[in-house]
Amino acid sequence: MIGFLHPWMLAGLLAAAVPILVHLLARRQPPTVVFPAVRYLQSTTREHRNRLKLQHWLLLLLRTLLIIALVLAAAGPTLPMRGVPGHAPTALVVVLDNSPSSAAVLGGVRQLDRLRSAARRALARATPNDALWLLTADGVPRRGDAATLGRLVDSLAPAPRRLDLGRALALAGEVLSAEARPGEVLLLSDLQQTAVSGAELRVPVVVGRPEAPAPANRGVARLAPGAQPWSTDGGRVGVAVAGDSGASAPVTVRIGSRPPKQLLVSPGGSATTTLSGAGAGWWTVSAELDADEFRLDDRRVAAVRVAPVARVRWDPADRHVSTAAEVLEGNGRLARGGELTLGALGAGPSVVMPPADPAELGALNRALARRGVAWSYGAPVSAPEASDSGALLGRVRVQRRVALQAGASSSGRTGVLATVGGAPWIVRSGEVVLLGSRLDPAWTDLPVSAGFMPFMDVLLNRVARGEVVVVEGTPGDPVPLPDLVTAVRRDGREWRAEGGELFRPTETGVYFLVAGRDTVGAVAVNPDPRESALARAEPAELRRLWPTARLAPLAEAGELAFGAAARGDLRGPLLWGAFLLGLAEVGVASVAGRRRAA
Amino acid sequence: MPSSESPAAVRARLDLLDPMEVARLGGLEVLTEEIVEGFLTGLHRSPRRGFSVEFAEHRMYQPGDELRYVDWKILGRNDRLYVKQFEEETNLRAMLVCDTSRSMAWTGSPGTVLPKLDYARRLAAALALVLLRQRDATGLIAFDDEVRAVVPPRSRRTHWHQLAGALAGTEAGQGTAAEPALRRVVEQLRRRGLVVFVSDLLLDPALTLKALKFLRHRGHQVVVVHVMDPAEVSLRGPTEARFEDPETREAIVLRPRDWAAEYERTVARAVAEWRLACRSGGIAYHRITTDTPFGQALREIVRR
Repeated sequence: MIGFLHPWMLAGLLAAAVPILVHLLARRQPPTVVFPAVRYLQSTTREHRNRLKLQHWLLLLLRTLLIIALVLAAAGPTLPMRGVPGHAPTALVVVLDNSPSSAAVLGGVRQLDRLRSAARRALARATPNDALWLLTADGVPRRGDAATLGRLVDSLAPAPRRLDLGRALALAGEVLSAEARPGEVLLLSDLQQTAVSGAELRVPVVVGRPEAPAPANRGVARLAPGAQPWSTDGGRVGVAVAGDSGASAPVTVRIGSRPPKQLLVSPGGSATTTLSGAGAGWWTVSAELDADEFRLDDRRVAAVRVAPVARVRWDPADRHVSTAAEVLEGNGRLARGGELTLGALGAGPSVVMPPADPAELGALNRALARRGVAWSYGAPVSAPEASDSGALLGRVRVQRRVALQAGASSSGRTGVLATVGGAPWIVRSGEVVLLGSRLDPAWTDLPVSAGFMPFMDVLLNRVARGEVVVVEGTPGDPVPLPDLVTAVRRDGREWRAEGGELFRPTETGVYFLVAGRDTVGAVAVNPDPRESALARAEPAELRRLWPTARLAPLAEAGELAFGAAARGDLRGPLLWGAFLLGLAEVGVASVAGRRRAA
Repeated sequence: MPSSESPAAVRARLDLLDPMEVARLGGLEVLTEEIVEGFLTGLHRSPRRGFSVEFAEHRMYQPGDELRYVDWKILGRNDRLYVKQFEEETNLRAMLVCDTSRSMAWTGSPGTVLPKLDYARRLAAALALVLLRQRDATGLIAFDDEVRAVVPPRSRRTHWHQLAGALAGTEAGQGTAAEPALRRVVEQLRRRGLVVFVSDLLLDPALTLKALKFLRHRGHQVVVVHVMDPAEVSLRGPTEARFEDPETREAIVLRPRDWAAEYERTVARAVAEWRLACRSGGIAYHRITTDTPFGQALREIVRR
């Protein structure tokens, strides 16, 4: 489709009508001249009228075409054309995938350097009339001229954030949708198989594809510190290694600056070990592999809270609760004491069960109200139901329960932790946790289910004590902050925050969540484990996902920029055409003139 | 005309003046006599040369004599230069046939160039006077699409006034039909004579040539004087014009600038065709444009 740089100049095409108008005006009824020798005129014109008429029409055609050619040239027509040295103004989005995998080294050269080189070649072909954007792994399209974006490309480093190429192409398409100029996308990536996804391509896309196979790689795919908080005796940590390098590799695991432990883990496998010796407090646990061609996934971190186990008081008469507590005590997950009351409302943190006798519910509700608990017990419910699956608890049967009612003035740390048929079943208000059913098989199958012990561990050591779940994140992805968080800290830096908002960590590492003066949680930020799989997507898969994209070797992709959507500038040919038309016009006119003069 | 010359000097050689200027000086009769006087003065070296002359004797060649009258046979025999001298023939009868059609009334430059008819009148009058001075009986037929005036040939000197009056009285008619007029000549010239046909030849060439050849066949000397306006020779006009024939009303629209060259070639071809046709029939042909001084035109016509 022909486009025009200055379409308003096409109004000048009206000038093409000038020769025709002149011709028509000249054809008005001419004056009559009495001339006796008309017979000679008739004889003269009889032979040459056709030739002269042809000459006149030819001149008219040449002059009209000459004007049209000049006006079209002034309007700057462009035509989709491949292989032309120049290009018409184009809107180009360079998607440069500087995700962690771009740090992989192949043949002594970092993959990112190859991508940058291709990007620089593409930008070097830009003209001042082009609109240019650079889209990197941070997902922010940056507009600028070739020099500015060139400097930006030069300063790029492997980003910790993963880039989904399908989404990146979609975003580039959105950027170009607002652009009047014909758009084009140049995707420069290592084309990890795990990063490609489908996208609707509405503009021409050139995909620069590395031809060399990706290097073999091993990476720490998972570092799981298990249930927290750890006791001062330490805890177990699980390590998984991903990659396509067959040999087992030593993984160095350490907590804080304590002496490390080493595990031998094969790619695709995992191992666990116990770390100890850390005092109460927050610790960073790391697992590290020996350096390979891709360094960024060789280390992974996790946050561990080390605290003494909860000191719990329970009613020995409550058989199932007592049994569970004794098992946890035997495993060092709790100790006997008065810090936490299990089964009834105590002076401190408590896990409250509804009384077996409904008549005692009123007294219990009054006691809860006095403690400022925002929840109270309501009417007993006897219909068999099942709990809803959640973070705290899986699906268990519930035969009996007492409805939990939110108070009119709920305040403090209130929240539903588990539900049954959508109705609250376990709730927390401040340091009091209310259970909707007694931990008795007559009320629920939970005490006789496999998840009962982990549930009790979490309930006593984490939920009831107000511990915050340590969450995992990846750079750039939002992490919801728990309530009461006022700041996020990492390595001496602090970001003001508000509980409930989203926090976007930019780098890998452990971020600690602070509420007032207390550290209430942590976010362990690690590279997306999918980045460890460096294997490239096959061309067939790329063609399936992006049918209209043009695949090209990465080394040539820069030269092909402005080529897929390149539009040949037709001004030169048109001006040449106008010149030739002018010559032809002069030729025909001079032939006519010579005939007149002869 | 240089202003230093006296009017008398000017009038003495009216034959050499621009016809338009001559026409401005006076009426047809008066001026024609002076034209002829001037013309005859210019012929002083061979006063007897003319239409109606026959060989009389030889005389010695004198510087200034025309070489064509040198008798080459005597030169070959005696190695002496003699020229032939001629005697006037007194019994020649001549008819001037003058075209007075509408096309003859046209001039391409009114006020600058005489209309063809005016030019033809004066030229015919001058020829008549020359002939009458040689005591040749001279008559006149004026025609357009039919014969308009007939003056039988007479040799009296006073007859010229009758001829001049008839010429002056002719008006431009409509079309042109020369054949009837030429056939009327046969009635007027019972024996061999001279026919001078003055026309712009914008007529039917075939019929006219047939009639002229018929006259030639009857033993008459025939002279065709083709009168043309300079604007008929070189086409000029506005950028584009509708050219209309005043007789037939036929018209053609064209740009003179585009056609001038071709037109000149066409006219030249037409003249050449007339000349060739006349020559092949033993007919003398002279093309005269209306800006040609009368003396020059007369000299060309009487030169044989």
